[in-house]
Parts: sequence; structure tokens; C-alpha cells
Amino acid sequence: MSSRRTRTCKNRDDELDGLVSKLQALLPASSSSCNKTRVPASKILQETCNYIKSLRTEGDNLGERLSQLLDSMENTGVDVNILRDLLQQ
Amino acid sequence: MSPSQQPSSPNPTHLKIRFARRFLRALNNLNITKTSPDDDDDGENRVYRRSRRVKIAAYTAMASVVGSRRAWSRAVLWKVRNRSRNRSLLSVRPRRKRVDCKITNNDHDHAKVFVRRRNPNPKRDPFRDSGQVLKLRKLVPGAETMDSWCLMDETADYIKCLAAQVEVMKTLVDLYTTT
Repeated sequence: MSSRRTRTCKNRDDELDGLVSKLQALLPASSSSCNKTRVPASKILQETCNYIKSLRTEGDNLGERLSQLLDSMENTGVDVNILRDLLQQ
Repeated sequence: MSPSQQPSSPNPTHLKIRFARRFLRALNNLNITKTSPDDDDDGENRVYRRSRRVKIAAYTAMASVVGSRRAWSRAVLWKVRNRSRNRSLLSVRPRRKRVDCKITNNDHDHAKVFVRRRNPNPKRDPFRDSGQVLKLRKLVPGAETMDSWCLMDETADYIKCLAAQVEVMKTLVDLYTTT
């Protein structure tokens, strides 16, 4: 039935919109900006790509610094409890 | 099927703590293996290799915390396992197995996990081949063949986990820079 098919397609489009706006909420820039204006999906995708790239670069830089600090970590010993307290702040 | 029927996303602090535990375990193993004399290359190469191992440990730890629930984590674990498998074929000495290799037991299950395609008809997929989507597919591991709904979902999860990983690593660096 064509009406049922149209409803299903509309549901899927709404679902996609919902997913895209969920993605938008995760991006750092959007949390400060007002969400009244509807941002086009292509812009959201572009910001998502940039954000992923920046996160990976940051992760790689931190990994390099950590590998340099590996010696001092071995000496002081790693305490997961301290880390847990820090992360919960 | 609505997104609310997906497995609920983990509490971010909980995720960070689980990641931190595995990552620290892997780093401790790295510390133990680095003292072995099998590296006869010069200092710069050794530094480069160690930093690569730390990065791989971070991605592996995060992917193994997420487990086989997500396509991106399965893709990461598969890649790392294949890389270490190829390297063990080339190396002469048997290397001590790291803790994060125990994830190979879980990998047998990944073939059974059903990747639900929400849209069986690709023509109805509005994002299928647009430029930005192609870039996104290259960035998110395991996302090359997904439809747009799954891609958005995986991207959101991937971003959450990457952000958590970066925060934990930042905390670690701060912790060990000040002491």
C-alpha cells in the first residue's frame, strides 16, 4: 500500500534526522551555539570529519608524550585508584 | 527499529575508567618488554617504535572495552590482530603475549554478531555517496559498506569513545608531568 510505504519512508527520514542531530549534539562547536537555526546535514558531516581528525591527531600527540613519560611511569608506579578519582571529578 | 532499541550507550565516566584500566595494563606490559634486548636498532628508531606501540595500545584498549558490539571496534581489533599476526610471522623469537591479545577469544564471536541494516534499499539512502559521507567512511573504521543510518550511529559512538580516550590520556600525561 502506497500510503504505508510513504509513512515508512517518512519514519526513516525522521530517524535519519534524529541521528544527525544526535551527532550534532556531540560536536564541540554546537554545544555553545543556539540550536534554533537548522544546520544543514552536509555542514554537520563536515564538522564531524574535522572533529574526528582533530581527536585522532590529539590522541597521537598524547601517545607520543606518554611514550616519553613511560620511564617515569615505571618508577612511580601506576595507581588506578588515583586515576579513577581524577576521572570522576 | 528505532534508535532507542539499540544497546544503551555506556556512562562516559564508566567508559573512561574501563579504558584507563586496560590502557595502563598494556602500558605496564610495554614497560616490561622494552627492557628485552631484541631491539638492536638505534635510539631514534626505538623511540618511534615505542610511541607507535603506545598508540596501538590506546586504540586496542578502547576497542576491547567496547568489544564486539560495534562495527568500528571489531574493525580496529581485527586490524591490530592481523598486524601482530603478520609481525609474528616475520620475527625470529617468540614474543611474550600481551594482555590485550586475549581479545582474540572474543573475535570468534564477531562473525555471529548481526549488523542490522535498517535500509535494505540503497536507492532510498539519501547520504549514500555524497562527498562528505565518503570522507566519513574513511575516517570511521569498518564503515565502508554501511548504510547511512548505521554510519551515523557508529560515528556517534566512535566520537564518544575517541573523546573519552583523549581525556584519559590527557589526565595521564598531566599526572605524570607534574610528579
